[in-house]
Amino acid sequence: MLLKNIYNEFIKILAKPRSYIGIGALTLLICIILFAMKADGSSFISFVTSSFEQTLSFNGTILNGNLIAFIILQMLIVHIPLLVALVTGDLISGEAAMGTVRMLATKPISRTKIVISKFIAGAVYTFILTLWLIFLSLFVSKFIFGSGDLIVLNSEGLVILKEQDILWRYGLSFIVAFLSLLTVSSVSICFSAFAENSIGPIVSTMAVIILFTIIGSMEVSVFQNIKPFLFTTHMASWRSFFEDPVPYSKIFNSIIILVVHNVILVSIAIFKFNKKDITS
Amino acid sequence: MKKLLFLSLFFIQVTSFSQEANQLLERVVAKITSVKDYSVDASIKTDIPFIKILPVKAKIYFKQKDKFKIVSKGIVILPKQGFTDVNTFLSKTNSYMAVDGGTKMIGELKTSLITVIPTSENSEFVLAKLWIDPKNAVIISSQITTRSSGTVNVDYFYSSELAFGLPSELIFEIDIKKFKMPKSVAADINNYKPKDKSKKKNENKKGIITIKLSNYIINKGINDAIFEKK
Repeated sequence: MLLKNIYNEFIKILAKPRSYIGIGALTLLICIILFAMKADGSSFISFVTSSFEQTLSFNGTILNGNLIAFIILQMLIVHIPLLVALVTGDLISGEAAMGTVRMLATKPISRTKIVISKFIAGAVYTFILTLWLIFLSLFVSKFIFGSGDLIVLNSEGLVILKEQDILWRYGLSFIVAFLSLLTVSSVSICFSAFAENSIGPIVSTMAVIILFTIIGSMEVSVFQNIKPFLFTTHMASWRSFFEDPVPYSKIFNSIIILVVHNVILVSIAIFKFNKKDITS
Repeated sequence: MKKLLFLSLFFIQVTSFSQEANQLLERVVAKITSVKDYSVDASIKTDIPFIKILPVKAKIYFKQKDKFKIVSKGIVILPKQGFTDVNTFLSKTNSYMAVDGGTKMIGELKTSLITVIPTSENSEFVLAKLWIDPKNAVIISSQITTRSSGTVNVDYFYSSELAFGLPSELIFEIDIKKFKMPKSVAADINNYKPKDKSKKKNENKKGIITIKLSNYIINKGINDAIFEKK
Protein backbone atom coordinates (compact mmCIF):
# COMPACT_ATOMS: atom_id res chain seq x y z
CA MET A 1 0.00 0.00 0.00
CA LEU A 2 2.85 2.34 0.86
CA LEU A 3 4.53 1.64 -2.50
CA LYS A 4 1.28 2.29 -4.37
CA ASN A 5 0.81 5.53 -2.50
CA ILE A 6 4.40 6.59 -3.27
CA TYR A 7 3.67 5.88 -6.94
CA ASN A 8 0.46 7.92 -6.76
CA GLU A 9 2.24 10.80 -5.07
CA PHE A 10 4.95 10.77 -7.71
CA ILE A 11 2.33 10.79 -10.49
CA LYS A 12 0.80 13.84 -8.78
CA ILE A 13 4.20 15.57 -8.82
CA LEU A 14 4.63 14.76 -12.51
CA ALA A 15 1.15 16.05 -13.31
CA LYS A 16 1.89 19.51 -11.90
CA PRO A 17 3.42 22.02 -14.34
CA ARG A 18 5.52 23.55 -11.54
CA SER A 19 7.52 20.30 -11.34
CA TYR A 20 8.96 21.09 -14.76
CA ILE A 21 9.81 24.68 -13.83
CA GLY A 22 12.69 23.38 -11.70
CA ILE A 23 14.14 21.22 -14.46
CA GLY A 24 13.59 23.95 -17.05
CA ALA A 25 15.16 26.65 -14.88
CA LEU A 26 18.11 24.40 -14.09
CA THR A 27 18.67 23.69 -17.79
CA LEU A 28 18.46 27.38 -18.67
CA LEU A 29 20.80 28.45 -15.85
CA ILE A 30 23.42 25.87 -16.75
CA CYS A 31 23.20 26.71 -20.46
CA ILE A 32 23.76 30.40 -19.60
CA ILE A 33 26.79 29.54 -17.45
CA LEU A 34 28.21 27.27 -20.17
CA PHE A 35 27.72 30.00 -22.77
CA ALA A 36 29.35 32.63 -20.50
CA MET A 37 32.33 30.36 -19.84
CA LYS A 38 32.74 29.52 -23.50
CA ALA A 39 32.56 33.21 -24.42
CA ASP A 40 34.78 34.66 -21.69
CA GLY A 41 36.02 31.91 -19.39
CA SER A 42 39.61 33.15 -19.53
CA SER A 43 38.77 36.27 -17.49
CA PHE A 44 37.30 34.02 -14.81
CA ILE A 45 40.51 31.95 -14.78
CA SER A 46 42.57 35.11 -14.52
CA PHE A 47 40.45 36.12 -11.52
CA VAL A 48 41.11 32.76 -9.83
CA THR A 49 44.87 32.89 -10.35
CA SER A 50 45.28 36.66 -9.95
CA SER A 51 46.76 36.42 -6.45
CA PHE A 52 49.74 34.51 -7.84
CA GLU A 53 50.07 35.98 -11.33
CA GLN A 54 52.90 38.34 -10.41
CA THR A 55 55.28 35.52 -9.62
CA LEU A 56 53.83 32.36 -11.15
CA SER A 57 52.51 31.27 -14.50
CA PHE A 58 49.80 28.64 -14.78
CA ASN A 59 50.15 26.39 -17.82
CA GLY A 60 47.78 23.75 -19.16
CA THR A 61 44.06 23.48 -19.84
CA ILE A 62 42.71 25.23 -16.76
CA LEU A 63 39.28 25.96 -18.24
CA ASN A 64 37.94 22.43 -18.63
CA GLY A 65 34.76 20.47 -18.00
CA ASN A 66 35.75 19.56 -14.46
CA LEU A 67 36.24 23.22 -13.47
CA ILE A 68 32.99 24.27 -15.17
CA ALA A 69 31.10 21.53 -13.28
CA PHE A 70 32.58 22.80 -10.02
CA ILE A 71 31.66 26.42 -10.84
CA ILE A 72 28.10 25.38 -11.75
CA LEU A 73 27.70 23.47 -8.50
CA GLN A 74 29.03 26.40 -6.48
CA MET A 75 26.70 28.85 -8.18
CA LEU A 76 23.56 26.71 -8.17
CA ILE A 77 23.70 25.29 -4.69
CA VAL A 78 22.17 28.60 -3.55
CA HIS A 79 19.32 28.47 -6.06
CA ILE A 80 18.41 24.80 -6.32
CA PRO A 81 16.75 24.71 -2.86
CA LEU A 82 14.14 27.11 -4.25
CA LEU A 83 13.45 24.73 -7.14
CA VAL A 84 13.10 21.81 -4.72
CA ALA A 85 10.88 23.74 -2.29
CA LEU A 86 8.68 24.85 -5.19
CA VAL A 87 7.51 21.26 -5.57
CA THR A 88 7.90 19.70 -2.13
CA GLY A 89 6.41 22.71 -0.29
CA ASP A 90 3.14 21.98 -2.05
CA LEU A 91 2.92 18.27 -1.27
CA ILE A 92 0.71 18.48 1.87
CA SER A 93 -0.55 22.07 1.80
CA GLY A 94 -1.55 21.66 -1.85
CA GLU A 95 -3.96 18.90 -0.82
CA ALA A 96 -5.43 21.20 1.82
CA ALA A 97 -5.72 24.09 -0.64
CA MET A 98 -7.46 21.96 -3.27
CA GLY A 99 -9.67 20.24 -0.72
CA THR A 100 -8.40 16.77 -1.60
CA VAL A 101 -6.89 16.18 1.84
CA ARG A 102 -10.17 14.70 3.16
CA MET A 103 -10.36 12.22 0.31
CA LEU A 104 -6.70 11.35 0.86
CA ALA A 105 -7.30 10.69 4.56
CA THR A 106 -10.21 8.32 3.83
CA LYS A 107 -7.89 5.94 1.98
CA PRO A 108 -7.07 2.68 3.76
CA ILE A 109 -3.61 3.96 4.70
CA SER A 110 -2.45 5.65 7.88
CA ARG A 111 -1.70 9.38 7.91
CA THR A 112 1.86 8.55 8.91
CA LYS A 113 2.29 6.50 5.75
CA ILE A 114 0.72 9.30 3.68
CA VAL A 115 3.41 11.73 4.92
CA ILE A 116 6.17 9.13 4.43
CA SER A 117 4.98 8.41 0.88
CA LYS A 118 4.94 12.15 0.14
CA PHE A 119 8.46 12.48 1.59
CA ILE A 120 9.73 9.57 -0.55
CA ALA A 121 8.02 10.92 -3.69
CA GLY A 122 9.62 14.33 -2.96
CA ALA A 123 12.98 12.57 -2.48
CA VAL A 124 12.63 10.86 -5.87
CA TYR A 125 11.89 14.24 -7.49
CA THR A 126 14.91 15.77 -5.71
CA PHE A 127 17.05 12.85 -6.88
CA ILE A 128 15.94 13.35 -10.50
CA LEU A 129 16.75 17.06 -10.20
CA THR A 130 20.22 16.19 -8.80
CA LEU A 131 20.80 13.64 -11.60
CA TRP A 132 19.86 16.26 -14.18
CA LEU A 133 22.29 18.64 -12.50
CA ILE A 134 25.04 15.97 -12.70
CA PHE A 135 24.32 15.31 -16.36
CA LEU A 136 24.32 18.96 -17.40
CA SER A 137 27.15 20.21 -15.21
CA LEU A 138 29.61 17.36 -15.53
CA PHE A 139 28.91 15.43 -18.73
CA VAL A 140 27.77 18.28 -20.99
CA SER A 141 30.59 20.52 -19.66
CA LYS A 142 33.15 17.79 -20.35
CA PHE A 143 31.70 17.31 -23.83
CA ILE A 144 32.03 21.03 -24.60
CA PHE A 145 35.23 21.95 -22.72
CA GLY A 146 37.05 18.61 -22.49
CA SER A 147 38.57 17.11 -19.37
CA GLY A 148 41.59 18.13 -17.29
CA ASP A 149 42.96 18.90 -13.85
CA LEU A 150 40.70 20.81 -11.49
CA ILE A 151 41.64 24.05 -9.74
CA VAL A 152 39.56 24.48 -6.61
CA LEU A 153 39.47 27.96 -5.15
CA ASN A 154 39.16 28.07 -1.37
CA SER A 155 39.40 31.02 0.97
CA GLU A 156 42.74 29.53 2.11
CA GLY A 157 44.29 29.03 -1.32
CA LEU A 158 44.19 26.81 -4.37
CA VAL A 159 43.97 23.03 -4.51
CA ILE A 160 44.88 21.47 -7.85
CA LEU A 161 43.52 17.96 -8.30
CA LYS A 162 44.61 15.49 -10.95
CA GLU A 163 42.12 14.59 -13.68
CA GLN A 164 42.10 10.90 -12.70
CA ASP A 165 41.47 11.84 -9.07
CA ILE A 166 38.29 13.84 -9.68
CA LEU A 167 35.40 11.61 -10.83
CA TRP A 168 35.03 9.71 -7.52
CA ARG A 169 35.03 13.06 -5.70
CA TYR A 170 32.17 14.26 -7.90
CA GLY A 171 30.30 10.98 -7.32
CA LEU A 172 30.48 11.30 -3.53
CA SER A 173 29.90 15.05 -3.52
CA PHE A 174 26.70 14.59 -5.53
CA ILE A 175 25.44 12.10 -2.91
CA VAL A 176 26.07 14.67 -0.16
CA ALA A 177 24.54 17.43 -2.32
CA PHE A 178 21.46 15.21 -2.75
CA LEU A 179 21.25 14.76 1.03
CA SER A 180 21.46 18.56 1.44
CA LEU A 181 18.63 19.09 -1.03
CA LEU A 182 16.64 16.32 0.65
CA THR A 183 16.91 18.30 3.89
CA VAL A 184 15.46 21.31 2.07
CA SER A 185 12.67 19.03 0.86
CA SER A 186 12.03 17.90 4.46
CA VAL A 187 11.96 21.50 5.70
CA SER A 188 9.35 22.43 3.09
CA ILE A 189 7.27 19.27 3.75
CA CYS A 190 7.36 20.12 7.47
CA PHE A 191 6.15 23.68 6.77
CA SER A 192 3.64 22.25 4.31
CA ALA A 193 2.04 20.19 7.11
CA PHE A 194 1.32 23.41 9.01
CA ALA A 195 0.01 25.44 6.05
CA GLU A 196 -3.22 25.56 4.09
CA ASN A 197 -1.74 27.10 0.93
CA SER A 198 1.30 26.42 -1.29
CA ILE A 199 3.06 29.77 -1.15
CA GLY A 200 3.56 29.85 2.62
CA PRO A 201 5.80 26.74 2.90
CA ILE A 202 7.87 27.69 -0.17
CA VAL A 203 8.53 31.24 1.08
CA SER A 204 9.11 30.04 4.65
CA THR A 205 11.65 27.44 3.47
CA MET A 206 13.58 30.02 1.48
CA ALA A 207 13.39 32.50 4.39
CA VAL A 208 14.87 29.89 6.75
CA ILE A 209 17.65 29.04 4.27
CA ILE A 210 18.52 32.72 3.77
CA LEU A 211 18.44 33.43 7.52
CA PHE A 212 20.60 30.41 8.40
CA THR A 213 23.04 31.15 5.57
CA ILE A 214 23.48 34.73 6.79
CA ILE A 215 24.03 33.52 10.35
CA GLY A 216 26.52 30.95 9.03
CA SER A 217 28.48 33.44 6.97
CA MET A 218 28.86 36.00 9.77
CA GLU A 219 32.14 35.52 11.56
CA VAL A 220 30.75 36.61 14.90
CA SER A 221 31.67 34.59 17.94
CA VAL A 222 28.12 34.68 19.33
CA PHE A 223 26.92 32.54 16.39
CA GLN A 224 29.81 30.08 16.48
CA ASN A 225 28.01 27.78 18.95
CA ILE A 226 24.86 27.67 16.80
CA LYS A 227 26.53 27.29 13.41
CA PRO A 228 27.48 23.58 13.68
CA PHE A 229 23.81 22.69 14.17
CA LEU A 230 22.35 24.66 11.25
CA PHE A 231 21.62 22.48 8.23
CA THR A 232 22.76 25.28 5.90
CA THR A 233 26.27 25.00 7.38
CA HIS A 234 26.42 21.42 6.13
CA MET A 235 24.75 22.04 2.77
CA ALA A 236 28.14 23.01 1.34
CA SER A 237 29.91 19.96 2.74
CA TRP A 238 29.97 18.41 -0.77
CA ARG A 239 32.86 20.84 -1.29
CA SER A 240 34.95 19.00 1.30
CA PHE A 241 35.46 16.12 -1.15
CA PHE A 242 37.60 18.54 -3.18
CA GLU A 243 39.99 19.21 -0.32
CA ASP A 244 43.29 17.39 -0.06
CA PRO A 245 43.33 15.33 2.12
CA VAL A 246 39.57 14.75 2.26
CA PRO A 247 38.29 15.54 5.79
CA TYR A 248 36.15 12.40 6.11
CA SER A 249 35.29 12.96 9.78
CA LYS A 250 34.01 16.46 8.98
CA ILE A 251 31.90 15.11 6.09
CA PHE A 252 30.60 12.24 8.22
CA ASN A 253 29.60 14.76 10.88
CA SER A 254 27.74 16.80 8.23
CA ILE A 255 25.95 13.69 6.97
CA ILE A 256 24.81 12.85 10.51
CA ILE A 257 23.55 16.40 11.11
CA LEU A 258 21.64 16.37 7.80
CA VAL A 259 20.13 12.91 8.43
CA VAL A 260 19.08 13.97 11.95
CA HIS A 261 17.45 17.09 10.47
CA ASN A 262 15.54 14.94 7.96
CA VAL A 263 14.33 12.54 10.65
CA ILE A 264 13.24 15.33 13.01
CA LEU A 265 11.53 17.40 10.30
CA VAL A 266 9.62 14.44 8.81
CA SER A 267 8.64 13.34 12.35
CA ILE A 268 7.27 16.83 13.05
CA ALA A 269 5.36 16.70 9.74
CA ILE A 270 3.93 13.26 10.63
CA PHE A 271 2.96 14.43 14.12
CA LYS A 272 1.28 17.58 12.78
CA PHE A 273 -0.52 15.76 9.96
CA ASN A 274 -1.82 13.15 12.38
CA LYS A 275 -3.23 15.93 14.59
CA LYS A 276 -4.55 17.95 11.63
CA ASP A 277 -8.25 18.74 11.70
CA ILE A 278 -9.45 17.92 8.20
CA THR A 279 -13.13 18.12 8.97
CA SER A 280 -13.39 21.92 9.18
CA MET B 1 100.16 63.36 -6.83
CA LYS B 2 99.74 60.33 -4.55
CA LYS B 3 95.96 60.74 -4.72
CA LEU B 4 96.06 60.84 -8.51
CA LEU B 5 98.21 57.72 -8.60
CA PHE B 6 95.84 55.94 -6.20
CA LEU B 7 92.79 56.91 -8.27
CA SER B 8 94.51 55.76 -11.49
CA LEU B 9 95.40 52.42 -9.93
CA PHE B 10 91.85 52.05 -8.60
CA PHE B 11 90.38 52.81 -12.03
CA ILE B 12 92.73 50.34 -13.73
CA GLN B 13 91.82 47.70 -11.13
CA VAL B 14 88.04 48.24 -11.57
CA THR B 15 88.39 48.17 -15.36
CA SER B 16 90.33 44.93 -15.24
CA PHE B 17 87.72 43.40 -12.87
CA SER B 18 84.97 44.47 -15.27
CA GLN B 19 86.89 43.01 -18.22
CA GLU B 20 87.34 39.72 -16.36
CA ALA B 21 83.63 39.67 -15.57
CA ASN B 22 82.75 40.39 -19.18
CA GLN B 23 85.09 37.68 -20.43
CA LEU B 24 83.62 35.10 -18.08
CA LEU B 25 80.09 36.14 -18.97
CA GLU B 26 80.96 35.96 -22.68
CA ARG B 27 82.01 32.33 -22.17
CA VAL B 28 78.71 31.62 -20.39
CA VAL B 29 76.74 33.36 -23.16
CA ALA B 30 78.70 31.43 -25.83
CA LYS B 31 77.53 28.18 -24.23
CA ILE B 32 73.97 29.44 -23.99
CA THR B 33 73.85 30.57 -27.62
CA SER B 34 75.42 27.31 -28.83
CA VAL B 35 72.07 25.70 -28.02
CA LYS B 36 69.75 26.65 -30.89
CA ASP B 37 66.89 24.52 -29.66
CA TYR B 38 66.15 21.72 -27.26
CA SER B 39 63.37 19.56 -25.93
CA VAL B 40 63.51 17.96 -22.50
CA ASP B 41 61.37 15.90 -20.13
CA ALA B 42 60.60 17.75 -16.93
CA SER B 43 59.39 16.62 -13.55
CA ILE B 44 58.04 19.62 -11.65
CA LYS B 45 57.53 19.61 -7.90
CA THR B 46 55.80 22.65 -6.51
CA ASP B 47 55.92 23.57 -2.85
CA ILE B 48 54.17 26.90 -2.62
CA PRO B 49 52.22 28.26 0.35
CA PHE B 50 48.46 28.50 -0.36
CA ILE B 51 48.72 26.07 -3.32
CA LYS B 52 48.35 22.29 -3.08
CA ILE B 53 49.50 20.46 -6.18
CA LEU B 54 51.07 17.06 -6.82
CA PRO B 55 54.28 16.71 -8.87
CA VAL B 56 53.67 17.00 -12.61
CA LYS B 57 55.49 15.57 -15.65
CA ALA B 58 55.82 17.77 -18.71
CA LYS B 59 57.77 18.24 -21.93
CA ILE B 60 59.59 21.52 -22.42
CA TYR B 61 60.50 22.92 -25.85
CA PHE B 62 62.85 25.85 -26.40
CA LYS B 63 64.06 27.52 -29.58
CA GLN B 64 66.30 30.56 -29.96
CA LYS B 65 65.75 33.38 -29.37
CA ASP B 66 62.84 33.22 -26.99
CA LYS B 67 60.39 30.53 -28.10
CA PHE B 68 59.27 28.48 -25.14
CA LYS B 69 56.51 25.92 -24.75
CA ILE B 70 55.55 23.55 -21.99
CA VAL B 71 53.30 20.61 -22.84
CA SER B 72 51.61 18.63 -20.10
CA LYS B 73 48.45 16.61 -19.57
CA GLY B 74 47.75 18.51 -16.39
CA ILE B 75 48.17 21.97 -14.90
CA VAL B 76 51.78 23.08 -14.47
CA ILE B 77 52.94 25.95 -12.29
CA LEU B 78 56.19 27.62 -13.26
CA PRO B 79 57.95 30.71 -12.00
CA LYS B 80 57.09 33.74 -14.10
CA GLN B 81 60.73 34.79 -14.29
CA GLY B 82 64.06 33.01 -14.32
CA PHE B 83 63.49 30.02 -16.56
CA THR B 84 64.59 30.90 -20.09
CA ASP B 85 64.26 34.66 -19.96
CA VAL B 86 67.57 35.03 -18.08
CA ASN B 87 69.40 33.28 -20.90
CA THR B 88 67.55 35.39 -23.46
CA PHE B 89 68.50 38.55 -21.57
CA LEU B 90 72.16 37.49 -21.24
CA SER B 91 72.29 36.73 -24.97
CA LYS B 92 71.71 40.43 -25.70
CA THR B 93 75.20 41.46 -24.66
CA ASN B 94 74.66 45.15 -25.48
CA SER B 95 71.74 45.49 -23.10
CA TYR B 96 73.65 45.20 -19.83
CA MET B 97 76.95 45.78 -18.09
CA ALA B 98 78.69 43.22 -15.93
CA VAL B 99 80.52 43.97 -12.69
CA ASP B 100 82.83 41.56 -10.90
CA GLY B 101 81.68 40.87 -7.36
CA GLY B 102 84.52 38.65 -6.19
CA THR B 103 84.36 34.97 -5.36
CA LYS B 104 82.18 32.81 -3.16
CA MET B 105 82.30 29.16 -2.16
CA ILE B 106 79.08 27.28 -2.94
CA GLY B 107 79.53 23.90 -1.37
CA GLU B 108 83.02 22.91 -2.40
CA LEU B 109 82.93 24.92 -5.61
CA LYS B 110 84.63 28.28 -5.92
CA THR B 111 82.34 30.57 -7.89
CA SER B 112 82.71 34.05 -9.34
CA LEU B 113 79.99 36.53 -8.53
CA ILE B 114 79.00 38.74 -11.43
CA THR B 115 76.44 41.46 -11.04
CA VAL B 116 74.54 42.21 -14.24
CA ILE B 117 72.99 45.66 -14.49
CA PRO B 118 70.75 46.50 -17.46
CA THR B 119 71.70 49.62 -19.39
CA SER B 120 68.13 50.44 -20.37
CA GLU B 121 65.93 52.20 -17.82
CA ASN B 122 62.87 50.37 -19.12
CA SER B 123 64.30 46.89 -18.78
CA GLU B 124 62.12 44.33 -17.00
CA PHE B 125 65.26 43.13 -15.22
CA VAL B 126 66.41 45.40 -12.44
CA LEU B 127 69.44 43.45 -11.31
CA ALA B 128 70.85 39.95 -11.71
CA LYS B 129 73.50 38.41 -9.50
CA LEU B 130 75.10 35.37 -11.07
CA TRP B 131 77.37 32.92 -9.29
CA ILE B 132 79.37 31.31 -12.09
CA ASP B 133 81.62 28.26 -12.14
CA PRO B 134 84.65 29.77 -13.97
CA LYS B 135 86.04 26.37 -14.92
CA ASN B 136 82.92 25.13 -16.78
CA ALA B 137 81.46 28.59 -17.57
CA VAL B 138 78.01 27.75 -16.24
CA ILE B 139 75.71 29.53 -13.81
CA ILE B 140 75.58 27.76 -10.45
CA SER B 141 73.23 30.12 -8.70
CA SER B 142 71.40 33.33 -9.55
CA GLN B 143 69.38 36.02 -7.87
CA ILE B 144 67.19 37.89 -10.32
CA THR B 145 65.24 40.99 -9.42
CA THR B 146 62.56 42.08 -11.86
CA ARG B 147 60.06 44.91 -11.87
CA SER B 148 56.95 42.75 -11.89
CA SER B 149 57.94 39.56 -10.06
CA GLY B 150 60.26 40.70 -7.29
CA THR B 151 63.28 38.58 -6.50
CA VAL B 152 63.74 34.98 -7.63
CA ASN B 153 66.64 32.82 -6.43
CA VAL B 154 67.62 29.91 -8.67
CA ASP B 155 70.07 27.08 -7.98
CA TYR B 156 71.39 25.16 -10.99
CA PHE B 157 72.65 21.57 -10.96
CA TYR B 158 74.36 19.98 -13.94
CA SER B 159 75.07 16.47 -15.14
CA SER B 160 75.15 15.09 -18.71
CA GLU B 161 74.57 18.36 -20.59
CA LEU B 162 77.19 20.42 -18.78
CA ALA B 163 78.98 21.03 -22.09
CA PHE B 164 75.90 22.92 -23.35
CA GLY B 165 75.33 24.70 -20.05
CA LEU B 166 71.94 23.00 -19.70
CA PRO B 167 71.00 22.04 -16.15
CA SER B 168 69.61 18.72 -14.95
CA GLU B 169 67.88 20.33 -12.00
CA LEU B 170 66.66 23.82 -11.16
CA ILE B 171 65.46 24.97 -7.78
CA PHE B 172 63.53 28.24 -7.74
CA GLU B 173 62.85 30.18 -4.55
CA ILE B 174 60.11 32.73 -5.03
CA ASP B 175 58.45 35.34 -2.83
CA ILE B 176 54.74 34.58 -2.50
CA LYS B 177 52.44 37.32 -1.30
CA LYS B 178 49.80 36.49 1.25
CA PHE B 179 46.78 34.91 -0.40
CA LYS B 180 43.62 36.87 0.26
CA MET B 181 40.32 35.74 -1.18
CA PRO B 182 36.92 36.74 0.27
CA LYS B 183 34.94 33.70 1.40
CA SER B 184 31.92 34.85 -0.58
CA VAL B 185 34.01 34.86 -3.76
CA ALA B 186 35.44 31.43 -3.02
CA ALA B 187 31.90 30.24 -2.13
CA ASP B 188 33.46 28.90 1.03
CA ILE B 189 31.30 30.86 3.44
CA ASN B 190 30.92 28.18 6.08
CA ASN B 191 34.60 27.49 6.52
CA TYR B 192 35.36 29.24 9.79
CA LYS B 193 38.74 29.07 11.43
CA PRO B 194 39.70 31.30 14.36
CA LYS B 195 42.25 33.93 13.37
CA ASP B 196 45.82 33.29 14.45
CA LYS B 197 46.81 36.61 16.00
CA SER B 198 50.46 35.63 16.22
CA LYS B 199 50.75 35.79 12.42
CA LYS B 200 51.72 39.11 10.91
CA LYS B 201 49.44 40.76 8.38
CA ASN B 202 50.53 40.64 4.72
CA GLU B 203 53.35 38.32 5.66
CA ASN B 204 55.23 37.14 2.55
CA LYS B 205 56.25 33.50 2.29
CA LYS B 206 58.78 31.61 0.22
CA GLY B 207 57.73 29.15 -2.45
CA ILE B 208 59.98 26.44 -3.88
CA ILE B 209 59.65 24.98 -7.36
CA THR B 210 61.98 22.10 -8.22
CA ILE B 211 62.32 21.14 -11.88
CA LYS B 212 64.23 17.96 -12.76
CA LEU B 213 65.22 17.82 -16.42
CA SER B 214 66.16 14.68 -18.32
CA ASN B 215 66.39 13.27 -21.86
CA TYR B 216 67.60 16.45 -23.54
CA ILE B 217 67.41 16.51 -27.33
CA ILE B 218 69.66 19.38 -28.37
CA ASN B 219 70.04 21.18 -31.72
CA LYS B 220 67.98 18.64 -33.65
CA GLY B 221 65.53 21.27 -34.93
CA ILE B 222 62.03 21.93 -33.59
CA ASN B 223 59.05 22.80 -35.76
CA ASP B 224 57.71 26.31 -35.09
CA ALA B 225 54.16 24.92 -35.04
CA ILE B 226 54.88 23.44 -31.60
CA PHE B 227 55.18 26.92 -30.14
CA GLU B 228 51.87 28.12 -31.52
CA LYS B 229 49.15 28.55 -28.93
CA LYS B 230 46.40 25.92 -28.93
